[in-house]
Amino acid sequence: MGHPVFNMDKEIVARVARAAHIKLSEEELEKYSKDLSDILDYFKVLDEAPDHEGAGVNPVEIADVLREDVPDQRIDSAELLKDMKTYDNYIRGPKLV
Amino acid sequence: MSDVQTLKDLKKLNEKYEMFNAFCEDGDLGDSKFLFSAKDNLTSSEYETCAGSKILGGYRPVFDATSIANLKQVGGKLVGKTNMDEFGFGTFSTNSAFGVPKNPFDRERSCGGSSGGSACAAAVLDDHLSIGVSTGGSICCPASFCGTYGIVPSYGRVSRYGLIDYGNSLDKIGLLSVDPAKLKEYLPVIAGKDPMDPTSCIQPELKLTGRKMTSVAVPKEAIEGISTDVKNTFLKALEDLKSMGIEVDYVDMPELKYAMPAYYVLATSEASTNLARYVGMRYGQQEGDLTQKFDDYFTSFRSQYFGDEAKRRILLGTYTRMEGFRDRYYAKALQVRMVVIDAYKKMFADHDAVLTPTMPFVSPKFSDISSMSPVESYKADFLTVPANLAGTPHLNCPCGYDGNGMPIGMQFVTDHWNEDQLVTMAMEWDKQFEVRKAEVKV
Repeated sequence: MGHPVFNMDKEIVARVARAAHIKLSEEELEKYSKDLSDILDYFKVLDEAPDHEGAGVNPVEIADVLREDVPDQRIDSAELLKDMKTYDNYIRGPKLV
Repeated sequence: MSDVQTLKDLKKLNEKYEMFNAFCEDGDLGDSKFLFSAKDNLTSSEYETCAGSKILGGYRPVFDATSIANLKQVGGKLVGKTNMDEFGFGTFSTNSAFGVPKNPFDRERSCGGSSGGSACAAAVLDDHLSIGVSTGGSICCPASFCGTYGIVPSYGRVSRYGLIDYGNSLDKIGLLSVDPAKLKEYLPVIAGKDPMDPTSCIQPELKLTGRKMTSVAVPKEAIEGISTDVKNTFLKALEDLKSMGIEVDYVDMPELKYAMPAYYVLATSEASTNLARYVGMRYGQQEGDLTQKFDDYFTSFRSQYFGDEAKRRILLGTYTRMEGFRDRYYAKALQVRMVVIDAYKKMFADHDAVLTPTMPFVSPKFSDISSMSPVESYKADFLTVPANLAGTPHLNCPCGYDGNGMPIGMQFVTDHWNEDQLVTMAMEWDKQFEVRKAEVKV
């Protein structure tokens, strides 16, 4: 279908890695660039696949199952917090700014 | 072997086969009626749940997955959490941060993946039932390599509440055992509507009526590019099926070749978003310097604790969803899934099931696996991926052994919600095929 062969150069892999919050060493950049090029080359067969008018995000039809909201607490929040880093019952995280 | 003895032997067996990430060490059977194990991406309150990943090291859930809770409800004792490829990313269970399960028939070979520990436990422990999870073949592949039955129900049949997601539109919870009667007995226990997973709430009732298959379709494409041993064993199994009164027709399913790339695009796209939650907060690894800026803090955890294949799939899935590439990959893959579903439905108009070998070769040696490229490894799933992409139920039946005694399996695929004929097939097949028990010495 006329798509150019795409070469995953290191610059693109580095950009993707930044978006995914993963820091790669120079060696990893080399390796994943090659691996992803090979994999995307293999994916080219998708370009030949027939189109379909449907494109659901699930393999079976999922109807919306609506229900009334009912207050419910199945798990004790103290239990949930016990293995987390907390301060005054707040979950601690890194600084935002 | 009694359940009491099995519990006593767990430690030694695990040293030999590395099938568990965590297991019961108190040896107390209590008032349980049967033993079962579960893949380590299903939460349970009595063991750590790590999904094969270092990034979840130390995570102790406070609730049971619905499938585990349901088995406990009918008297099951959860004896261990089974080893697996990190988050389900693999075909050989060699991508786990917690050791590699060894094949019960030859410890130099793989159990298959990603539910390798579950298949190993089902093959090694007497009278055992194990819960596995399949995204692209992760129940039938290890069932085939370890010589057990393995059933993957329709997408949405078993609640995914308590499952650590890999690909939400693909993940399916199923069962493995050398005894098909266990699949028949316990599939209805784990199946059913669960308000905690809305995708389970649209299912029609599961009715196991004993309906037999009368015809199967064998795609010609599925017996090309497979090993001679697998092909010959499969062809022999076809003759056995004919003698059981089942009509076998060869058919063309050219659409199957599109399933692999479509599957990997969808699976990695979904995985890359699901794994975005692992950032060193709330669960698993959390020991970091909180004075760092959030970007640096998150990145340091993810870079340090995700394994090689997890990073590869996150990168791939992030790329295929990026602006400019999304239509070519993700949007097209969604369409291809419908094309593959239509191809199956066409077959089910005239046949009860589509039948193929399960894997193109017997379990390889670890030394051979280590030299496989990622693409070679992905291609090994070409027979199990289509049904997983389509969300159709499927079953591995052991159907023979190669010259080295390694198991070979065949895979039946039926229409959405038709687990009935799969379970009946397993029961009928088991009457005339003798499943070999691996020789296990404690």
